[in-house]
Amino acid sequence: MSDFFDDENFQDEFDEDSWRHGMNLDLWKRLLGYTLHYKKEVTILVTCAISVALSEVAFPLITKAVIDGIAQQGADLNLTLYGSLYAFFVVVIGISVGNFIWFGGKIRTNVAHDIRRDGFDNLQHLSFSYYDFRPVGWLMARMTSDIERLSNILAWGLLDLVWGATMMFGIAVAMLFMNVTLGLVVLSMIPVLAWLSLNFQRRILKSARQVRKTNSRITGSFNESIMGVRTTKAFVKEAENLNNFGSLTDDMYKASVLNRIQAALYLPLVLTLGSLASGLALVFGGLEILWGAITAGTLVAFLTYARHFFEPIQELANWFAEMQMAQASAERIISLIESEPAIQDSPEVRERMQALHADSVPARIAIDGHPDEIRQVTFENVGFKYDVGPQVLSGVDLTIEHGQNIAIVGSTGGGKTTLVNLLCRFYEPTEGRILLDGVDYRDRSLHWLQSNLGIVLQASHVFGGSIMENIRYGRLDATEDEILEASRRAGAHDFIMAMDDGYDTQVGEGGSKLSAGQKQLLSFARAILADPKILVMDEATSSVDTVTEQHIQKGLAELLKGRISVVIAHRLSTIRNADRIIVIEHGRMIESGNHAELMKVRGRYHKLYTQQSLTQFSREERTWVAV
Amino acid sequence: MNDRVNARLLWQLTRDYRLVFSMAIVSMAVGYLFMFGPPLAGKLAIDVVEQGVDGADIPPWIHRIAEMLAFGSAPGLMTYMAIAAIGTVLMTMLAGMLLYVRGRCSAIASEGIIRRLRDRIFSHLEHLASSYHDKQDTGDLLQRCSSDMETVRVFLAGQVIEISRAILMLLVVLPILFWLDTDMAWLSLASMPILLVSAVIFFRRVKELFLEVDESEARMTTVLQENLTGIRVVRAFARQEFEIGKFGERNREFRDLNQKLIGLLGLYYGGSDLICLGQICLLLIVGATWTIEGHITVGTLFAFLTYESMIIWPIRHMGRVLTDSGKAIVSMGRIAEVLAEPMETQNETDPGKRLSGRVEFHHVGFGFDAHRPVLSDVSFTIGAGQTLAILGPPGAGKSTIAQLLMRLYDYTSGSILLDGHELSTLSRKFVRSQISIVLQEPFLYSASILGNLLVGRVDASFQEVVEATQEACIHESIERFPRGYDSLVGERGVTLSGGQRQRIALARALLKRPPILILDDALSAVDTDTESQILAALAKARNKQTTIIVAHRLSTVMHADKILVLNEGRIVQEGTHESLSQVDGIYRNLCEIQGAIQDQIESDLVRN
Repeated sequence: MSDFFDDENFQDEFDEDSWRHGMNLDLWKRLLGYTLHYKKEVTILVTCAISVALSEVAFPLITKAVIDGIAQQGADLNLTLYGSLYAFFVVVIGISVGNFIWFGGKIRTNVAHDIRRDGFDNLQHLSFSYYDFRPVGWLMARMTSDIERLSNILAWGLLDLVWGATMMFGIAVAMLFMNVTLGLVVLSMIPVLAWLSLNFQRRILKSARQVRKTNSRITGSFNESIMGVRTTKAFVKEAENLNNFGSLTDDMYKASVLNRIQAALYLPLVLTLGSLASGLALVFGGLEILWGAITAGTLVAFLTYARHFFEPIQELANWFAEMQMAQASAERIISLIESEPAIQDSPEVRERMQALHADSVPARIAIDGHPDEIRQVTFENVGFKYDVGPQVLSGVDLTIEHGQNIAIVGSTGGGKTTLVNLLCRFYEPTEGRILLDGVDYRDRSLHWLQSNLGIVLQASHVFGGSIMENIRYGRLDATEDEILEASRRAGAHDFIMAMDDGYDTQVGEGGSKLSAGQKQLLSFARAILADPKILVMDEATSSVDTVTEQHIQKGLAELLKGRISVVIAHRLSTIRNADRIIVIEHGRMIESGNHAELMKVRGRYHKLYTQQSLTQFSREERTWVAV
Repeated sequence: MNDRVNARLLWQLTRDYRLVFSMAIVSMAVGYLFMFGPPLAGKLAIDVVEQGVDGADIPPWIHRIAEMLAFGSAPGLMTYMAIAAIGTVLMTMLAGMLLYVRGRCSAIASEGIIRRLRDRIFSHLEHLASSYHDKQDTGDLLQRCSSDMETVRVFLAGQVIEISRAILMLLVVLPILFWLDTDMAWLSLASMPILLVSAVIFFRRVKELFLEVDESEARMTTVLQENLTGIRVVRAFARQEFEIGKFGERNREFRDLNQKLIGLLGLYYGGSDLICLGQICLLLIVGATWTIEGHITVGTLFAFLTYESMIIWPIRHMGRVLTDSGKAIVSMGRIAEVLAEPMETQNETDPGKRLSGRVEFHHVGFGFDAHRPVLSDVSFTIGAGQTLAILGPPGAGKSTIAQLLMRLYDYTSGSILLDGHELSTLSRKFVRSQISIVLQEPFLYSASILGNLLVGRVDASFQEVVEATQEACIHESIERFPRGYDSLVGERGVTLSGGQRQRIALARALLKRPPILILDDALSAVDTDTESQILAALAKARNKQTTIIVAHRLSTVMHADKILVLNEGRIVQEGTHESLSQVDGIYRNLCEIQGAIQDQIESDLVRN
């Protein structure tokens, strides 16, 4: 499925027109740095490219010598000499071709690997604001097809450039050396061919892109027709879908035929130009022969050169067009690699961390010089808005002490998630500040804070791999016993043992083999193992079977014990057991207190609670077990 | 599925395009004939230069043309050179034109055939029975439609032509070679068998490595995708370094496997270059010897050298083409398998008028296998415009009743009547046009919200759309999206919550204004407040629309005209809220539990 991400639907709009703006050489220079990093390989590659080109130039010369030799010396001709000379070049080409494929491939895969590595590194450190406007599919397309395209240019493009330039130069020199007039006659075809090639290659690449774009839409259609088959049947949309699909395949037909007709037109034109060069060589060659200026062997060499001259021009034109089309890819990749995270340690923090690094960190002191503990979290008049859009949160004042459990309730879109994101420093407040034990968290190390956070999300994300590996994600150096212990406390042990391979069970991509409830329990175990100072949780609302529900409630109580915990709560039990409940509506904290206090107020919480309880307790599973 | 069936399918698909395809092949054949002309023109020129106008062996018809061109005087060297030059250009142009015709024809034919195959498999997918989709893996099916299709396309567009080109080339060039000189012809073919055999063996061998590289790339992509979708978890546990390590490993593995493959390819291409060029070298040296000895002329040597380089590279390429063709046959088989699956029956009758909505089940039974019935002996009747509620634990068969009504499955025993018509005699399309269904996890198309709503009824006015969304309590949420009704659903547009998806699906179903509406646990993710508003709106349509509600909340079902309690595929209780809450049984238990909860909430309120 990897070619799914060669998805032209994930291209930007400006992409299509970018080649009109001409080339941005600076961009390519920066990317070429990746190639030049492999000095040894590049040297060998260039050497091979040159020796292949020169050998190819040499062959017609040997043929010429043999033919002329036959005419002049007849039987006295030293065939062994020419034979071994030819054989020598054959071996040179054989070895060089093998080597340049090997080293070109090595450079290409290394460059792809390196760009991808740097891109991934940076993606790990970019702030969430970077992800807000970039869907996963878009990022995947950058990291897969864009990188493949660029690494091709950066390796094979370079190879062809060296080979093509050497060969053209070599042939030109050889021709002019043999006979200036004839040489100039054949060379006169170059500008025409270059112009023709460049124009055609551009068009061909453009229509090829259109084909890919339509193709990914077709794949999307197939995907929808399979996933949505019930809906299609229920609404009797078969005919309409087929009709839409038909116009898509029509587009595809037109685009592909256009693309192939362009290619079919290009080749004959090149061939005809080539034959014109040969024809001119024959006529002018004939004249030169009449004047005694050249021999038959030279004529043969010219005829061969006239044919070979056109290959490098075609190749170079192709790469040049490809580079223009790939300009947008290059821009996006460079920007991905060079983007600075919006949230990172301040210079002061970094300085302090470096200073501390020298004389190893004392016990109970964090890597940034402050004490390695969090006894209190304070929100001071905190507000937040995105770069564009309305105020999401304003005027939040809140103090959470060690061991306290806070439940956040309120309607969707009210700002609950934003509050939690600010606490995790996924975003920073645009107004006010957040203090950890009295210190603004901007003055602390981001890494330190986030390694002391435990986060359990609504849609528990599980990685492909075994259950053991997934729990271990909480603390990488945990022993097997510690993992089992965490899993028992989370209430996950029973269901895990009930599976065929126990802790070694493979959960499938994205945990596809686990139910929502099981994933939830797994993420509890992971968080318990991590034993974070602050736990942040977005409680899931999905319905699970009774047994799991009981496990979840127990596991949750374990998880929240003995630390600062903030839960976007949906379960009644969670809400009622919280030390403090805060109600967030329209970006403001409108009520705060424990269950009893808030019920007394008879405000928003009272209303939410009464509604919520009905929803919750009428869940199928409970009722049916009770039956 | 055997090769003959696949071949027949392919043959059927070529109908209407056979003429165009043959034209492509014929024009290619003639085109190559012309392509072989220029070297002969070159031979003529060289022979004339080498041996003089009188000494050279010039075919009589060329001699006559030369005399004509020379206006009766004896043709000189330049006349022959001009003939050779014009011949070269003319023949190349003719060949070029024919090659263009070939390209055009083959493009039209192969793309046309693929368009037909795509349309056909799409239509087949749309009409396959639901049970097929239940058991089929989506990823695999999608692969058959996309990458297998592409393999077949490349085969038709490239390999068929490639193979015929190689065959034609040999057919055309062999006679010329043997006509020119028998010994030289044998000599020029010397390395062909080695080249062909080694190519086939090599590509068979690397096929597995190709597969490994693909798999390794897929693994790398998976890690990348998991990382990007789980980026919050990664940050939450501060596992950046770990992830970088994990990805780095996959990234390196992909690179290393790729390099292994490239190393082999380098070896192959380097080696075969050696063979090919060695062959040309052999031809040159032996040819030169024979020229010196007088067996052949210099022109013949030139012609052989040119022909050799024209045929030897395609032959080297053949190994790859042949292996790829093998893949195409496998892919064709996988596509044919899908096409061989039976479609839903389509020949039933269509009463042609709107149903009133009366539904009767008489002793209906259904099961995927005989030993484990999903439903057994289910009987009930709903009058037109009435509301039926179905309750029951998971797996009781509630949804199956809805699916039988939609004719997604066919009941195995008993009888279902719609307005007195036996359901199995009514066409599926008609039945479905009379029923709207909303599922718990509805499918939305990746189109705009408006586009998704119009699926309900294509010709609905915007006014009608808004009425439906208001009834489904989703209008205001939609208005709040940045682009309102034009917002796209999915990754590039708005992300919808479960409740929002359910309500959009409800609005879509309402827009259809069907005689029968089925809500299959369709409001599970909607909060109670909104749900009661929706139910109130639905109640207005009472007597106009038969409604079947599968639900769990008492509040949802208690106002129904009839309530069915289902357990293990059988109806265990039937009645109204009033009658059922009087008798001992599951329903009353339910009421008591939910009543107890109500009491607890009341007491909470009193206490505070």
